[in-house]
Amino acid sequence: METNFILAGFGGQGILLAGTILANAFMLEGKNVTWYPCYGAEMRGGTVNCEIVVSDTEVSSVHKQDTDYALVLNQQSFDKFVKRVKAGGTIISNSTLVADSRPRNDINYIFAPMTELANNLGTSKVTNIVSLGVLASVCNIVSKDYLAKGIEKVLNEKKKDLIPLNIKALNAIEKECLV
Amino acid sequence: MEKEKVLIKGNYAIAQAAVNAGCQCYFGYPITPQTEIGEYLSGKMQGLGRGYVCAESELAAINMVMGAVSTGVKAMTSSSSCAVALMQEALSYAASDELPVVLVNVMRTGPGLGYIYPAQGDYNQAVYGGGNGDYKIIVLAPSTVQECVDLTYRAFYLAQKYRNPVILLADGLLGQMMEPASFGDYPYPEVDVSSWALTGAKGREARKIYSVAPDEKKQIQHIYDLHKKFEVISQNETSYEEFNVDDADYILTAFGSMTRNIKAAMNVLREKGLKIGAFRPITLSPFPYTRINELATKKKDFIVVEMNMGQMFKDVKYAINGKSNVELVNRPCGEWLSVEEIVSSVEKIIGRKQYAASI
Repeated sequence: METNFILAGFGGQGILLAGTILANAFMLEGKNVTWYPCYGAEMRGGTVNCEIVVSDTEVSSVHKQDTDYALVLNQQSFDKFVKRVKAGGTIISNSTLVADSRPRNDINYIFAPMTELANNLGTSKVTNIVSLGVLASVCNIVSKDYLAKGIEKVLNEKKKDLIPLNIKALNAIEKECLV
Repeated sequence: MEKEKVLIKGNYAIAQAAVNAGCQCYFGYPITPQTEIGEYLSGKMQGLGRGYVCAESELAAINMVMGAVSTGVKAMTSSSSCAVALMQEALSYAASDELPVVLVNVMRTGPGLGYIYPAQGDYNQAVYGGGNGDYKIIVLAPSTVQECVDLTYRAFYLAQKYRNPVILLADGLLGQMMEPASFGDYPYPEVDVSSWALTGAKGREARKIYSVAPDEKKQIQHIYDLHKKFEVISQNETSYEEFNVDDADYILTAFGSMTRNIKAAMNVLREKGLKIGAFRPITLSPFPYTRINELATKKKDFIVVEMNMGQMFKDVKYAINGKSNVELVNRPCGEWLSVEEIVSSVEKIIGRKQYAASI
């Protein structure tokens, strides 16, 4: 079985890092995974996204036209990727920056105030990690334990002191709080 | 070297594999989508006391590689499509001089300056070359990040083993994506270069490496020798992968990262009850002509899937030599052909043939 994710937001929101942590979590869990970024002449403040495909067998195509899950941290990304969610798929939005609208009735919507939750921890910089915590609460193939291991692996090299804050961010949301 | 898997970008994987393979010198000039190779090596090589030069142009870079490998050390450059075009003259010289140049081409879209997104339009450039004269290059095409590692190792080994330039033909998708890969140690023996390398003539007769033979007979013999060498390379080094070809009526064929998509399409079509196989050359040069011809003799039709206007298609057609049929499913560049698109194209082709057979 193959499942794919698109993570999207402003450049600077830590989208590629969040994707890297998610892909590492899958790898540490022993799954096959690929991570593919949009790349090119992007400007600071523009949008950025990456696609993660996870599979029990070898990953087929790395870059797909539609997605099972979209995790969007800003309005532009919501507008762009709500169209690319598969019927029955889920779009998870940062309600601090994304207005509550539901333009399609064949997909699931999750809204969580990710930037606000990050600010409660003292910095909006961990919005991306809060969003991964939300994703894990919604999507049962993403494990918070492995995400924590992914954070440790990715941050271990240069930013070891930030691991406790990021683990806190990962657990910022309780499943019951989601709407 | 740890066997543990790491999540790594194709470009970084190629760069680290080059380090492990014992690449002593890297010369390059930045271009998307392969700039990470030079970026990674700029820090790494200095720390290891090896050579790194950000050259003033691609032309300079490939000529620096030629100079370095003449002394018997392993060296490489990397670039992308339109900048690899600039290196073609040097590749012809390197092939003639029998220099073990390693060149990585992380393909983007052409022709001309083109576009920075992935494509497979440099098949002809790599396999047939843009340099003058009768020369041949070894071309390896990875399909996963793990193969970016494995085939970089192989590129350095084959280059020295046969004293022949080798191109690692990746694409922007492989260069930019991350996937778990393990490195292990460089798996090949070190090649003895002492019989030809320019290491200073103290205590021995002087040597020259040059590509002009001011003598007709010598030049004729030189070309024959080069081609005899490539025949040996073809016999020893041609490699490919095949899946479910034994009972297949149709064989999907692709190279590089498109291989992943044809394998997935094959599985979907098999679930629908169609007898589909998949075939993928790992060496584009030498090309697995013999194996494709064998399969064609068994009346298996081929469907070539590639992100160009049908470049490998011609080689498959040549290999089949009229013994079965070959169709092309392609797009010149842009979004990679999806599994769904390949499946529906194959179904259309099969439907058309069944209709033609029924009337």
